[in-house]
This record gives sequence, structure tokens and C-alpha cells, in this order.
Amino acid sequence: MIQDYLEVLARELDFDRSLSRCVRQEVEDHLWETVAADPAGNSFEAQRQAVANFGDARAIAAEFAVLSLARHSRRAGIAALLVIVSVFIVMKARVAWYALMQWAISDDLRAVGGLVMTIDRYAFLSSVVIGLGGWIYIQSREIPAAFDPAYRRQLRRFFLLCGAAAAALVVSVISDAVLTVLQLRGAGLSAKFLVPILSMSIEIVCVGILVLRIRGVTLRAASTAALTRR
Amino acid sequence: MLKGHLDMIVLAALAAAGSAHGYAVIEEIKRRSGGAFDLPEGTIYPALHRLEQAGLLSSRWTTADSGRRRRVYTLTKAGNRALAERHAVWRQFSDAITGLLAGTRPRENPA
Repeated sequence: MIQDYLEVLARELDFDRSLSRCVRQEVEDHLWETVAADPAGNSFEAQRQAVANFGDARAIAAEFAVLSLARHSRRAGIAALLVIVSVFIVMKARVAWYALMQWAISDDLRAVGGLVMTIDRYAFLSSVVIGLGGWIYIQSREIPAAFDPAYRRQLRRFFLLCGAAAAALVVSVISDAVLTVLQLRGAGLSAKFLVPILSMSIEIVCVGILVLRIRGVTLRAASTAALTRR
Repeated sequence: MLKGHLDMIVLAALAAAGSAHGYAVIEEIKRRSGGAFDLPEGTIYPALHRLEQAGLLSSRWTTADSGRRRRVYTLTKAGNRALAERHAVWRQFSDAITGLLAGTRPRENPA
């Protein structure tokens, strides 16, 4: 009886493996202790009573799902900031490499380069401001007790901020790619190209990680909503 | 009504019990409330996890005499402060209601 109940609970929490394992152990300890304290001893009836007193496994899983969602949302906020900082460091390293190699955009492309650089600067600044705003917003909210309309509104705002920060960062990285092409255009292919190409790859991977992370949290929000509706 | 005060109830039980696992927290709540709070026991665990996530509790895993793994919770300093704040708010509310009800009694045949 208790094992069946634990199986249902663990299955409902399967979207977060570590949480599922941890809750299962905790609840198992509780249920067996309840049975041990029952004057009827370790009987089927004592197990049935312990499970009944504990409550519906799906309802409890839904409460844990909300907590898991809150934790992952906060982590997504931190991930957004880490990605923005990483892109900044890589960007600065590439610019330093250009200076060291004494590479510059050719005169005929300087105007285009200037425009792209302006777009890059503002897009990156926007991603910093919006990303920071999103992180502060989600960190300053209370951990929710339920997936209620107020929490849904908070999540919508947070996803909007994260999405806007990621979009601004994508624009910045695309601008970086254009600037890199302009810088390298005309120069003969050599091993020195590896640094800008590698740094651009890192930026693209960073942005990819951020987009996947945000998508992961939005999917988790959808599955939490489905679990709480049942 | 009870769910709205669940966090305070759990914090108060842990403050009284010291370090305790979920089962002991529930027993402490039952004992101190004279059995008045008959919550589904499972609702305490999400509350314990939420309070830990909020930094009001800390937890560690131990091994019980039965050999099973057991998670033991302790109130943090922030948890103690939160309990004191909620206690003060509750006392204010309770005093206000007591004052409001003082000297009144329900009418026999309300209109």
C-alpha cells in the first residue's frame, strides 16, 4: 500500500528527478513512522490509514511542482545574468585581440561598422538592464504556496523580461558576428583567426544556453499548470 | 483560514521542538494545538520545503534508528525573526478581535 502510494508520488514528481527522490525518501520515512506508531501495528489497515491521513498524492505533487518551478525560475534569472557577463567578457577579449593584432575595419566599411557597433552597444546595454530587472524581480518575489493567478502574473512578467533580455542579447551577438566579418574581411586566412572565431562560437553557445533555459522554465510552467488543473 | 497561517504554525512548532523531522513537526502541531489543527499530513512537507527555500529553515539528512534516511529541519535566524514578526501581527489581530467581541453576545433571534 505504502509502496504504491510512493510510486504514484514519485511518478508525479518525475519532472524533477532530485526532488522526486528526496520527497519519496522523506514521505516514506513519515508513512512508516506513522504505521509504527499505530496501535494496530504493521497491518494493511494501518498502512491504508497512514496513506489516507497523508492526503492525495497528486495534490501534494502539485504543491511541490510549484516550488520546483519557483526554484528553476530563480535559477533562470541567475543564468541570464551569467550569460550576459560571459558574453561581455568574451566580447572584450576579442576587442583586445584586435588591438593586439592591430586589426581595424577598412575605411570603405567604417560607416557600416559604426552603425553596427551602435546597434551592438544599445542591444547589449538593453540586455543588461532588462536581464538585471528580471533577476531582481523574480528574486524579490515570495516563494509561492500555490499556482494561483497572482503567481501566474508574476511568471508572465518574468518570462517577458527574460525573453526581452535574450532577444536583445541575440541582436548584440548578431551585431558582433557582423563586426567580426567586417574586421576579418580582406585579411589573409591564418591561425590568428581562431581567437575571433572561437570567441564568436562561445557567444553563440552562451545565447543558445540562455534561450534553452528560458524555454525549459516555460515548459515547466505549462506542466505545473496542467498538474494543478487535474 | 488554517492554510493562510500554515507557515506560522510550522515555524512555531519547529521553534518549540528544536530540530525535527516532518513527522515530529506534525506531532508537535497536534500536541500543542490540542488536536485542533487536523491538516492532511502531506501538506506540511511542501510548506517545510517552501520555508527552506525562503531561507527560514535549514535541513540536513540523518539516518533514523530504523535505518531509513530522515530529513531534519531547524529554524534559521531569519526563521526566528519571521516567527517573531508573525507572532506580533497575530497578537495585534487577536487583540483587535477580542476587543471587538468584548461585551457582545450573539442575539437569540437575529433579524
